Amino acid sequence: MKAIFKRELRSYFLTMTGYIFLTMFLLLAGLLFCLFNLAGSVTSVKGVLGLLTTWEAFILPILTMRMFAEDRRLKTDQLLMTAPVPVKSVVLGKFFAAFAMVTGALLIMLLYTVTLAFFGTVNWAETISSFAGFWLLCGVILAIGAFMSALTDSMIVAAFSTYAVLIVTVFLGNIAAVASGVLQSVLLWLSPMSRFDDFGRGILDPSALVYYISLIVLFIVLTVKVTERRRFA
Amino acid sequence: MIEVKNLVKHFGDKKAVNDISFTVNDNEVLGFLGPNGAGKSTTMNMLTGYISMTSGEIKICGIDILENPIEAKKKIGYLPEQPPLYPEMTVREYLSFAAELKGVKNIKKEIDAAARKVGLTEVMSRRVGNLSKGYKQRTGFCAALLGNPEVLILDEPTVGLDPNQIIEMRGLIKSLGREHTVILSSHILTEISAVCDRVLIINDGRIIAEDTPKNLAGRGGKAKRIIIRVDGGDDAVSAVLDGLDGVTYSKLGEGGEYEINISNASKDAGKKLFFAFAKAELPILEQREEERSLEDIFIELTKGDK
Ligand SMILES: Nc1ncnc2c1ncn2[C@@H]1O[C@H](COP(=O)(O)OP(=O)(O)O)[C@@H](O)[C@H]1O
Ligand SMILES: [Mg+2]
Repeated sequence: MKAIFKRELRSYFLTMTGYIFLTMFLLLAGLLFCLFNLAGSVTSVKGVLGLLTTWEAFILPILTMRMFAEDRRLKTDQLLMTAPVPVKSVVLGKFFAAFAMVTGALLIMLLYTVTLAFFGTVNWAETISSFAGFWLLCGVILAIGAFMSALTDSMIVAAFSTYAVLIVTVFLGNIAAVASGVLQSVLLWLSPMSRFDDFGRGILDPSALVYYISLIVLFIVLTVKVTERRRFA
Repeated sequence: MIEVKNLVKHFGDKKAVNDISFTVNDNEVLGFLGPNGAGKSTTMNMLTGYISMTSGEIKICGIDILENPIEAKKKIGYLPEQPPLYPEMTVREYLSFAAELKGVKNIKKEIDAAARKVGLTEVMSRRVGNLSKGYKQRTGFCAALLGNPEVLILDEPTVGLDPNQIIEMRGLIKSLGREHTVILSSHILTEISAVCDRVLIINDGRIIAEDTPKNLAGRGGKAKRIIIRVDGGDDAVSAVLDGLDGVTYSKLGEGGEYEINISNASKDAGKKLFFAFAKAELPILEQREEERSLEDIFIELTKGDK
């Protein structure tokens, strides 16, 4: 797993994908940060991260679209799948490499926030839990993206099917907003984006944590299964 | 040692591999010979655990590839038909990655040794994507050698190499065959006869012949092919040939050349032919006996199968 992780992480920077991702993410985060926090003299990053939840859905597939699709195109999956390494390690190595990219980006963003401490009091509990929630939400999106990449040979299809799934999940929250009663609770429960609001309140709600982590695990397991199953076609 | 029993692979309706069984002994070089689409790569992909079989059994050094894939894969070095390379990495980075995947201990030392063996030393810091086809092939081959696996499976290892490189590669495979169990595939006959101890001729997913290259060449049995050039009219030549037993012939072009196939020929069939023409006062200007090549046998065997 370590070998795969290292190679994937390095490859992000050898193929420009990593730079494209970081540039887009940090530009967008920086822009929102300037508009809301600096211009509006707000010390809470909750709002910016909340807005980013929708945007990142479009940026993160940059990291995942090549994940398996590209290996199949280059036939390098023949190297990975005939090496004495379980499929699980291959999938985890790739997932954690993408997750490391996101973690790096978020750490840089955290530095933005630290500058806010010079202008006023920052509610650190809220900041940290917002970041933690956002981080896990990114993990969910990466896991979904990984799964989509495992399903198809084309990275374009992988990217767009990930967008499709994510748009639906974003809309789950919007539909929930106009629904009522049980339906609303169910939709809100299903929507990873609305779960994020829980973190914004400065408490690490165990049920929200469990929810995100379960989704990550679910999609990683599905990715492993799909990758194994493809070879049994 | 490799044991394969009743191996079958279907892709939808297509039977790519249709009940293949064979064993390969330690330190033996086995060749898969067959035209494109015969099922060579598919068989190799199953041997290496890349794809699963529809049915059948594969044991690598006694280890079942389905029951214990990780242990079985540790025994194998695989060079697929298209070398599985990451173009953005340098050769050294790529080989280090392959070595790490295989759990090689002394990575630098082993990479340098393997690179020297296949002649990669001078391109170690170049990007894989910028290499020539020959160097790409060697990079893939080098990766297969890492970890010094007992079994080497090489899918068309000389495709895309220039003639000098082909000779080098054959020499390398031959020398590796002294310490490794090797399976290599090819659709080139001379290649197989040059390096293999034994050949499986595969066509349409089946083994249609199995023998040493030498015995296969002798499979034509007593059949002989003789080319002659005669100074004489068609009718006169035909009259002589028709008078001989077990002879079929065809005219080659307009130069008075004939190809003569003699089934069940004796040692002095050539002599008899000569005197038959001499008696008819038709001078033979040129006469040569042709070895029945593996190529002929191959064409004959695959023709009969369709
Ligand atoms: N993944 C696949 N899906 C469908 N058919 C395949 C697949 N791989 C190979 N085949 C078919 O199986 C047959 C054998 O192919 P292959 O093993 O590549 O032959 P060879 O290596 O001897 O040229 C061919 O007819 C090929 O089209
Ligand atoms: Mg092939």
